[in-house]
Amino acid sequence: MKLLEVEDLQIELMTEAGVVRAVDGVSFCVGEGETVTLIGESGSGKSTTAMGVLRLLPAGLAVLSGRVELAGKDVIADPDSIVDVRGRSVSLIPQDPMTALNPVFTVGRQLAGAVRTRHPELSRSQARDRAAELLDSVHIPDPSAQLRKYPHQLSGGMLQRILIAIALAGEPRLLVADEPTSALDVTVQAGVLDLLLELQERTRIGILMITHDLGVARVVSDRIHVMKAGRFTESGEVEDIVERPQTEYTRKLLAAIPQLDAPSTTAPETPAGQNVPKQESPTPAPPAEAPAASPAEPTATTLKPEDARRPAGATGLSAVPGTATTATTAARPEGARP
Amino acid sequence: MSRRPQLPPLTKYAGKRLTQSVLTVFLTVSTVFVLIRLAPGDPARAYAGPFATNEQLAEVRERFGLDQSILSQYWTFLTGLFQGDLGTSFSYQDSALSVVLDRMPYTITLATSAILLTTIVSVPLGVWMARHADSRRELGANVLTVAGQSMPEFWTGVMLLTLFAVLVPILPASGFTTWGGLVLPTVTVAILQIALISRMVRREMVNNFASPYLTVARSRGVGERALTWQYAMGNAAVPVITALGTRFAALLNGVVVVEVVFAWPGVGSLVVRALETRDYPLIVATVLVTSVLSVTVQLLIDLLYPLLDPRVRLGKATS
Repeated sequence: MKLLEVEDLQIELMTEAGVVRAVDGVSFCVGEGETVTLIGESGSGKSTTAMGVLRLLPAGLAVLSGRVELAGKDVIADPDSIVDVRGRSVSLIPQDPMTALNPVFTVGRQLAGAVRTRHPELSRSQARDRAAELLDSVHIPDPSAQLRKYPHQLSGGMLQRILIAIALAGEPRLLVADEPTSALDVTVQAGVLDLLLELQERTRIGILMITHDLGVARVVSDRIHVMKAGRFTESGEVEDIVERPQTEYTRKLLAAIPQLDAPSTTAPETPAGQNVPKQESPTPAPPAEAPAASPAEPTATTLKPEDARRPAGATGLSAVPGTATTATTAARPEGARP
Repeated sequence: MSRRPQLPPLTKYAGKRLTQSVLTVFLTVSTVFVLIRLAPGDPARAYAGPFATNEQLAEVRERFGLDQSILSQYWTFLTGLFQGDLGTSFSYQDSALSVVLDRMPYTITLATSAILLTTIVSVPLGVWMARHADSRRELGANVLTVAGQSMPEFWTGVMLLTLFAVLVPILPASGFTTWGGLVLPTVTVAILQIALISRMVRREMVNNFASPYLTVARSRGVGERALTWQYAMGNAAVPVITALGTRFAALLNGVVVVEVVFAWPGVGSLVVRALETRDYPLIVATVLVTSVLSVTVQLLIDLLYPLLDPRVRLGKATS
C-alpha cells in the first residue's frame, strides 16, 4: 500500500529575485515499512519537496502543482484536506531540534497536546501518561521528570528524541524526516538513526528521509532519489546508487565523501565527541565496534497501538535492529565528515 | 535533577531590582534639584512680579530659602525628604507633595484608560496585520498606523474636540466632571500608542509565525487558532508587555500637550505651571512622584518576566 504518492510535483517559490522553480517535476512514492531518501546538496529542492508535500510552505509564497496523494487525499487539489492528515497520518521530524519546540511551553504540554490531537477523547492525565509512555519508547530515561522540563533545559539529542516521540503521538503511517540528524553531534546522530530504524521495524511506518549525507542515506534507505536543481538526476535501490552510480553527479557526490571505504583512518575524529551532552550516555566512541548504542537490547514492547496491527511477518524484533546498528556503526566515519 | 528550590534566586533578583529602583529615583530627584537651580530664571521675580523692588525680592528669597547655597538647600531638602516633607510650593503656598498628589489621580486615570484602550485595540489589530502581512488588505491598516504615528497630539486633540464637542456635541470639551470627559483625552493619547504598539505586535507575530517551532507545531496538527493565540502570542507576550509597560510609565509622567488641550487637571499641566513660575519645590515633588510611579511600573514588569518566560525563570544554561 502506498502511503505517499507524488506525481510530477512542481513548486515555484516567489523570492525577491523573482519566481524560482525549486522543484521541477518529481515523482516518487513511499510504501509501508519503506524508507525513501531524497539526497542532494543545499538548494537542490529536497527540503522544499518535503515541506511542499506537507503543505508547510508559506501559502502566498509557494505555488504547487502536480499530484500529491497523502493517506489517500490529494493535498494539492484540496489543500484543506491536509488538516485531517497532519499529526494523524503523517508527522514531521524537523531539521533542528533546538528551534523546533515552543520555548515557553514544557515538553510535556507539547507532547500531550500532540496526543490529544490524535485522541481528543483522552483526559489531560491520560494524555500525560501516554506522553510518558512515548518518551519511554524513544529511550528517554525518567520520562515523567523530562515532561516537566522546558526545551532549553535539554540537549539536542534529547530534544530530537522528544520530537520523534511527538511525531509518533499522532500514530502516523508516514514520517517525513527533514535532515533529522544534521544539527546533531556525530555520536548522537547514530543513536537517532538507530531509533528511527527500530521504530520502523516495530510499526512498519513509512519514512521519507531528506538528507545531504550519503552515509545516512546508505544506512536507512530502501530507495534513493538523487536530487539536483529541482529534478531527480538518478533514482534506484540503495546498493545500485552507491555501488554503481550511473550519473556523473552521483559519482561526484560519492567522491565528495572522503574515506568512504577506509573507515579505519578516521580515528582523529574523537575530539568531536567531547562536547556531547551528558544525557547521551549510551552512545559509543566513534569508530570502534559499539553495540552499546544498540536499542536492540531488551526493547520495550509496549510501544504503540500499531504493534497490534502489524503484519505477522514483521516480527523480526531482535534480529533486524541489530543489523541496523551494525550498519550504522560501519557508516559512522562518513557521518563524521561535516 | 529536580529544580524545585527556585525561590531564593528570584527573591534575590527582586531585592536587587528594588535597590536599583530606589537609587534611580534618588539620583533623578537630586539631579533635577541641582539642575533646576542652575538653569536661568528667578523664582523670586516670578513670585513677586515684574515691579518688585530689590528689597522685596531679597525678602522673598529669604522666605523661600533661596539665599542659601545650593548645597545647604539640598541638605534641607534631604532632611525634609526623609520626613516626607518636600517643601512648600512657591505658587500654591501649600505642601508641594500634596499639590502633586491631588493631581495624581487624574493622571493615573487618563494613563490607565489610554493604555487599556491601546491594549484592547492594538493586540487584535497587530495580530490581524501579521496574519495578513504584506497583503493588499493590510495596506489599509498600515496607512492608518503610519498616520496615527505622524499626527501630532495637539492636532488630533483639537480635531476630536471640533468633531465631537462642537460640530456634533456629544462629549464634553474639557475638564473631568463626568466620565464622558475622559473619552476624548483617552482617544487622543491612545491613537499614537495604538499606532506604535500594533506595529510592534505585528512585527513580533510575523517573526513568530516564521519561526521553525511554529511550522513544526503546525505539522503535528495544532490548529491555527492555538498557533496564533497560544504559541505565537505566548512568545510575543514578553516584548509586547514590556512595551506597553514602558508606554504606561511614560504616560504617568503626564501627557503635557493633551492635558493642556483638554484642560485636564493632571500632573502634565501642573508641570507646565511649575516650570513657568520656577516653583522649585513643586518641580522636584512632581519629578519625585512620577519617577517613583514609573520605576514601580518598570519593576513590576521586570518581576513579570519570570512568569512569562521559563528561560528567565530557570536560567539560560542548564545541564
